[in-house]
Amino acid sequence: MNKQHSDLLWQSSFRFLMSHPWHFVLSILGVALGVAVVVSIDLSNSSAQKAFELSTEAVTGNVTHQIIGTGGGISEGIYREIRIKEKVRNSAPVIEGYAQVEGMNRTFQLLGVDPIAEAPFREFTSQKAGINLAEFMSGANTGLISKEVGQALAVQTGDWVAITVNGKKHQLKIVGFIEARDKRSRQALESVMVVDISTAQRLLDMEGELSRIDLILPSDSLSEKTKTITAALPEGTVLLRSKIRTQTVEQMTRAFEFNLQALSMLALLVGMFLIYNTMTFSVVQRRPVIGRLRALGVQRSEILVLILKEALLIGALGTTAGIIGGFFLAQVLVKLVTQSINDLYFVLNVQALAIGFLPLFKGVALGMGATLLAAWWPAREASQQEISTVLKRSSSEAGITSRLGKISISGILIALVGGLILLIPNGGILAGYASLLFLIVGFSLVVPVIIVGMAKLLRPVLGAINGLIGKMAVRGVVTELSRTSVAIAALTVAVAATVGVGVMVDSFRTTVVTWLESQLQADVYVQPPSAVSRNADATLDSSLIKIFENTAGVAEMGTVRRIEVRTNNGMDNLVAVSQNKNALQGYQLKASTMGFWQHFGEEAVVMVSEVYAYHNEMMLGDTLFIQTDKGKQPFSIGAINFDYASDIGTVTMNRKVYNHFFEDRGVSGLALYAGNGVAVDTLVHLLREQSNDIQQVFIRSNKGLREASIEIFDRTFTVTTVLRMLAILVAFMGVLSALMALQFERAKELAVLRANGMTPAQLWNYVITQTGVMGIMAAVLSVPLGILMAYVLVYVINLRSFGWTLQFMISGEILLQAMVLAVVAAILAGIYPSWKMAQANPAEALRNE
Amino acid sequence: MMKKQIWLAVSAAFILAICFTLWQTLREKYEGEATISIADAMGGNSTEGYLRASGPRKFQFPEDHGPHPGFRTEWWYYTGNLFADDGRQFGYQFTIFRNQLTPSTMKNQGVGTTSSWSSNQIYLAHFAISDVENMRHIFDERYSRGAAGLACAQVQPYKIWLEDWTIENLEENNTEFPNALSVHIKAEMEGGASINLKTRPLKPAVFQGDHGYDEKGSDEGNASYYISFTRLATEGSITIDNQNFTVRGQSWMDHEWSTSALGDNQKGWDWFSIQLSNGYDLMYYQLRNQDGSLSAFSTITLVDKEGKKIPIDVNKVDLKVLERWESPHSGESYPSEWLFSIPEVDIEFKVATLIPDQEMNVSVRYYEGAVTVQGKMAENEISGQGFIEMTGYEVE
Repeated sequence: MNKQHSDLLWQSSFRFLMSHPWHFVLSILGVALGVAVVVSIDLSNSSAQKAFELSTEAVTGNVTHQIIGTGGGISEGIYREIRIKEKVRNSAPVIEGYAQVEGMNRTFQLLGVDPIAEAPFREFTSQKAGINLAEFMSGANTGLISKEVGQALAVQTGDWVAITVNGKKHQLKIVGFIEARDKRSRQALESVMVVDISTAQRLLDMEGELSRIDLILPSDSLSEKTKTITAALPEGTVLLRSKIRTQTVEQMTRAFEFNLQALSMLALLVGMFLIYNTMTFSVVQRRPVIGRLRALGVQRSEILVLILKEALLIGALGTTAGIIGGFFLAQVLVKLVTQSINDLYFVLNVQALAIGFLPLFKGVALGMGATLLAAWWPAREASQQEISTVLKRSSSEAGITSRLGKISISGILIALVGGLILLIPNGGILAGYASLLFLIVGFSLVVPVIIVGMAKLLRPVLGAINGLIGKMAVRGVVTELSRTSVAIAALTVAVAATVGVGVMVDSFRTTVVTWLESQLQADVYVQPPSAVSRNADATLDSSLIKIFENTAGVAEMGTVRRIEVRTNNGMDNLVAVSQNKNALQGYQLKASTMGFWQHFGEEAVVMVSEVYAYHNEMMLGDTLFIQTDKGKQPFSIGAINFDYASDIGTVTMNRKVYNHFFEDRGVSGLALYAGNGVAVDTLVHLLREQSNDIQQVFIRSNKGLREASIEIFDRTFTVTTVLRMLAILVAFMGVLSALMALQFERAKELAVLRANGMTPAQLWNYVITQTGVMGIMAAVLSVPLGILMAYVLVYVINLRSFGWTLQFMISGEILLQAMVLAVVAAILAGIYPSWKMAQANPAEALRNE
Repeated sequence: MMKKQIWLAVSAAFILAICFTLWQTLREKYEGEATISIADAMGGNSTEGYLRASGPRKFQFPEDHGPHPGFRTEWWYYTGNLFADDGRQFGYQFTIFRNQLTPSTMKNQGVGTTSSWSSNQIYLAHFAISDVENMRHIFDERYSRGAAGLACAQVQPYKIWLEDWTIENLEENNTEFPNALSVHIKAEMEGGASINLKTRPLKPAVFQGDHGYDEKGSDEGNASYYISFTRLATEGSITIDNQNFTVRGQSWMDHEWSTSALGDNQKGWDWFSIQLSNGYDLMYYQLRNQDGSLSAFSTITLVDKEGKKIPIDVNKVDLKVLERWESPHSGESYPSEWLFSIPEVDIEFKVATLIPDQEMNVSVRYYEGAVTVQGKMAENEISGQGFIEMTGYEVE
């Protein structure tokens, strides 16, 4: 191929794109949106992960091992033992907690350290960082915050800031600022507040206790050293590699992040359909040109390359725009993702996006790959056609009609394969998504035949409503099936994706609401404010509990204690409950052993949540080993309960049993029952008044707590909702692009109609009716596909990633929304072509060729 | 086909360029950090609110062997020259410092603290061994807050300790001389070198300066309370390079507390502790001024065999530097050989460091080294061992 020849070909291609700017721009936009969604989700996930790593790194420093308690803190005497007797010089006591700073709407990690022991571990807390020891360790409320936070609060050294720890207000004197070594750790340290270990003990009510002991053990004599240290530790404390702890925390968010990623891939899939539609369209439109080129001696491979080049251009532009757009979108998404992580798992502050090569590379690969993949078939089809057939206008329509049966059967087969993938045992989440992909592709292949069927039904109806034009409009859809079916299929998939995700969220919400109603039996709930919304990790003041128990109007009281324990499955959440029979009946059990409630109160029997059982592959009667203050103890699993509050699962134990195995007597929450005739609101008011001076706690009525829980639920699903909105946007763009292009392509046909006496008004009517019909068809088709997708999302993907049983819930609202979306977009798509055609001189349009 | 490749290359390059620009602009920029040494961290030069050494006082024992909170600094200082059975010589220094961060009058700003960790006392310890045969000097430093059972000084039972570095009374509750200060010293460096020594005073305590009140400057309160045990019989073991040596020899112990020692114009000091072969012990320090001259507040104490102080006019003491040694670590130039003459008692001897490099490169840099003595006293040949401490030789 010589250069000039190739240039000519490319020029023809370029001219075509330029003469169809709408088409060109919309297809770029399709790619861009798909890529933007994937890149932004990836960026926000990786930023959250990076922030977590950084803050862990900053706070754990160079730690190799940690000594932690089996339930909560450890005695500070252990530190002396390890440091002095066991001569572990690289050891540092640490106390961790959370604090809120007045004037800043976020949670700080309160880090209690001994600056003198810190040097090998963390630079910023060590004496080398220039901490004013005289002020720092005096026992007064003094501490350090990062320079940036200091600036934000307009605080200078020596100023006081108001902080709240475990619901109690304190004044803290800032005696210095944390100096971070670099920007990365500075970001991590922006949510850290450093205090002396003595201050931390007092603020957190942990006198005599430590959260953990950090160690750096030499790698050469590791096993020997860990053995002697372990031997020196009392029951109830363990030595762990610090990585294990970090990993446990990281694993918690894995399913959550994976799901977001998968949703973003769904957006890309929709985007891919749109690209396919666009490329097919551009090929179909240029059949005559391509035919002529072939007749002039241009080779097949050259045509193939030409089309692929076009795709490459669209892909490159779309990907670039997508990456830039994704970056901006990520700024919004990262906040939502962080919010969800804070609600569900642990406190995390993400101050900036972490731009890694991977998300960008993934965006490029997906954008370019998806475009080329989507363009491959149209390009191949164009190059494979016989010259004579390509020149014939009707050939493609004849082709598709004759192949309708084959296409539909292959669609059904592909969908069946999708269904079969679901049957693979332990298929995992990936298989779930693969199946989803097959179902979508299969369904869209059946779309043409359904369109023909639907057209038959719609023709008399529209004929009755809109006369001849109505009939013509419907007929037009079928006569150009090769183009319309692709457009309708793309619309269907896009709209169905929004239905699928919508139904999933709705099902989830309904299930949680029903569960909350049954679970919340008491009238008033008391909780200390907690850093992680769904996980009360703070402790109630014991004097407060006494006061509440004796408050007039309180008939009965139940308590809840939440701690982290080490089991044979890793670090798990243990809930110890002390509640009356009625409240216990509120637990919805998925399965239980005979006479479970009797055993639960007396024996070493626990109840595990469905999610817990699923993740750890545990069944009724299995034994769970829990590290208690009396050593590692076996507990029999007596029941599996539904619990939608934690996606990592919980182990529930009777408080009586807990008290037997653990020394901890703390209480994390109260459930109060109002006496007969006592108004709940009055009681709440009374309790609030009594707690004011002791501890700031949340006192909420049954209704209040339920509402608060649902609010958190909704907040955690904001990301999903945003993604759904984006999918809707992608779908909308798709509808516009596909239908508009379709109508423009028919300019000549419309001109003929005009020349034959059709008025501009009739033309409007014709075009709008036709796009409207296509919208309706897509809307109708999207309902079954959407429900199918929702089904897979709820029963396969959700189950495989979280392990929850959800009630399947289809709301009319979501279906209606989808229909309106499809039809409105379709009608909007008709407006511009109608206007343009109605304006145009039909003679001009006809002369064009 | 060239065209296609160019296109691919151009697209890829374009995208890569954009990614790279984004990545570059958002990449983190590393910045430096400032560090402050423990000396600075302990700083705060205001003496307000602290107790001051303002005149001779009556010492109470055993209480005065213990800590004196209210004064800013205090140390328990052991140095000695020890010999293994085969004659191999080791010098050692073991010191525990107490530092008070805030005056005792300063309360915890109204916060009733119940944590055992809060404290205004910081303990610091230095431990060094001079391995004369191998010309090697090894040292280690530790510090800790004086709380939470990590470090403390107490009288009953007598124990000065920082983690597992301890000075403990050999016989509990025995407050009578000489057993009051018969102690067991135990310490192990990070590298494994350790001492395990028992010391027993051979002479009663010496009260330096004016009955233990030792003026260091003309300003009121620029003084310390200073007690020495100049000769302690010492035996035990030294472990160095995983080799254990049974050792015996003599040690010197100083216990000194003050709030401010050096005056503004004073730069540093040279402090000698010498045990002579004829049973006499000599302590001499000279304070050097910023301008290089000697301060009038130098002190000399000569103690006879029984522990009796022999009065000497400090102004008639002559000390000449014969040799110097430049530290390869700090670049500081320390004297390494002196000619010492006290005409009043007819003493003249040469003092030389046993090995040149005995610089303590810890958070506060100084020189603390074993010395050997050779000379004459009243026409008799004498020899001796001792220690030299030098500060204020910083390169300007």
